[in-house]
Amino acid sequence: MGDSVVHALAGVDLSIEAGEFVSIIGASGSGKSTLMHILGCLDKPTGGTLEFQGHVISGMREKRLAELRNRHIGFVFQTFNLINRTSALDNVIVPLVYTRRSFAKEQARRALEKVGLVHRAKHKPGEMSGGECQRVAIARAIVNSPSLLLADEPTGNLDSRTGEQIMEVFHDLHQEGMTIVLVTHEMDIAVQADRMIHMRDGRIIEDTAVDQHRRDEILAGMHEGFKKVFEQKTAGRRPARPAKPMNAGDAERKLRLANGE
Amino acid sequence: MFHLRILLTALRGLRQNLLRSMLATLGVIIGVGAVVSAVSILEGAQKDILERFESLGADQVLIFNGTSGRGGHRRTLSNSLEPDDAVQIESENAELVAATSPQFRGVGQVKYFEKNAYANVLGTTETYAKVNSYHVTHGRFLTREDVRGQSMVCALGYGVAIELFGAMPAIGKTVKINGKSFIVVGVMEETGALGFTNVDEQVIIPLTTAMYRMFGQRYLTMLVVQCKDAENLVPCIDGVKRSLRAAHRIKPGEEDDFTVYTQEQIKQQFGDTAKIFAIVLYSIAGISIIVGAIGIMNIMLVSVTERTREIGVRIAVGARRFDILKQFLAEASTISLLGGGLGLLCGWAIANFMRTYTGGLVEAYTPMSIVYLAITIAILVGVASGIYPAIRAARLDPVQALRYE
Repeated sequence: MGDSVVHALAGVDLSIEAGEFVSIIGASGSGKSTLMHILGCLDKPTGGTLEFQGHVISGMREKRLAELRNRHIGFVFQTFNLINRTSALDNVIVPLVYTRRSFAKEQARRALEKVGLVHRAKHKPGEMSGGECQRVAIARAIVNSPSLLLADEPTGNLDSRTGEQIMEVFHDLHQEGMTIVLVTHEMDIAVQADRMIHMRDGRIIEDTAVDQHRRDEILAGMHEGFKKVFEQKTAGRRPARPAKPMNAGDAERKLRLANGE
Repeated sequence: MFHLRILLTALRGLRQNLLRSMLATLGVIIGVGAVVSAVSILEGAQKDILERFESLGADQVLIFNGTSGRGGHRRTLSNSLEPDDAVQIESENAELVAATSPQFRGVGQVKYFEKNAYANVLGTTETYAKVNSYHVTHGRFLTREDVRGQSMVCALGYGVAIELFGAMPAIGKTVKINGKSFIVVGVMEETGALGFTNVDEQVIIPLTTAMYRMFGQRYLTMLVVQCKDAENLVPCIDGVKRSLRAAHRIKPGEEDDFTVYTQEQIKQQFGDTAKIFAIVLYSIAGISIIVGAIGIMNIMLVSVTERTREIGVRIAVGARRFDILKQFLAEASTISLLGGGLGLLCGWAIANFMRTYTGGLVEAYTPMSIVYLAITIAILVGVASGIYPAIRAARLDPVQALRYE
């Protein structure tokens, strides 16, 4: 805008391992959405490098990037972003159209099953509740069995009850091994991840594992039902990872973003 | 299978806003419909006229009064053809001319008691039937004696006979033509059109009776000469012209005061007229189709803007730019094809409706070439109008598209 250069992100150095459940929390304008778009190969960083599953993203052709987004990454948005006047099933099929796969209907149906909405397969977004729409969106995101799921304020447009249901789906997916990066501005949602990254003004100001103590603190003020669901889900989970120091130079990187600006 | 999927996806996309999609096709429907119906009628007319002229015969020559106006001179309708000209032509060109048929045409009211009909009145000689291969089914045709004696006899065209007498025999009965009494001596076969006239609605009386006793005219309407064979048409025409010039006492160097037409010339003249019509028609249709294309482009641009978010999502789930381009191009082409198809059907229906409604006066014929043309135009319009919106869609930045309100 005009003459001044706006840095959405600055000095971000980040790596995420397969199977992690990471939340990115920050206020509006903190750069969290931009970070998510870059992680999802939707946006190009103006400086620095991005590696995904060992491949360097920076020089990739559009075709290869599209393939990545199609098969390895799934997006879930705050406003669901389903196609209106189109059935749930047809919405879930969209990624498969670009995968050029036959038997698409079957695969889409299975994805809907996973989110518990097979019985609504023929319904249009206008005929479904917010929670159902978001679940269809999740089904669409996972229909190609991606390794990474990116969610941008997935519960932002939902009431707390429905938000619980959605988080339940994420927890289920995480249990099955999916890597989830969830962007939010709500603490109750952010603490449900294993690792929380706190952003402000384009920088990461905190990147720690979420320990049980902290979680309990926050959940103490939460809706009873939510707490119960959460406890049920976390009953059989792996222990949380130890806190990662900010400037770790670990050799093992699965998702690595080193950003100069 | 792949193309079917594209078509189905396109249709689904269009169904998102059905009313708008239908309005978008309207331009193409009207454009194509107008072309198809007009061409059908034009082609039908041409086919019809040509068929009628086939019956005229390649060996016939028509002579009319007055100059034709060609060669830069003004067209004059100076009457000059007289019955004796026919006699002179025949006698001087016996080797080339098979027969002549002088004709005088008027209109009249034919009455039989309380029944009456308006009909064309044709005054001619005994050669008419033979020259035109048009024969009686009942009674007899005119004879030379009828002509010489200015007899008050007539031969009825099929339609007139039915109208006045129904199933009853007409021979021997007396009818009044323009108030004068005539005896019916013959009824003609059902034929329909012969040259420019519908002969079923015609009554035939002796030439001399028509000219001198009924209408009081000295000059013929036209003179038909049947040459012995079509190969010798040119020398035949030359001979005819010479005889006529002599009969009319035209000095060498002076213009003919009559015009000679062959079937070929009439066909060609008509063909020229048809070509002009066609050019005008296609121009108008072309404009209308351009308007239709602009309409589709407009609608597609609106559609792209409205679906900006959707495009962002599609890119996020793995669509390449080319996929987006293909999608919107397919939608534009589908609208256009549907419009073209509908236009084709409507045009065809209108032309045939006209034919039925006018009872055959307006003929309709839709050649396959027009069908192919319509489809080709539809596809071209779809691509041409859709390419710009499709490119705009494909160029959208996904991050901004996802943020679009």
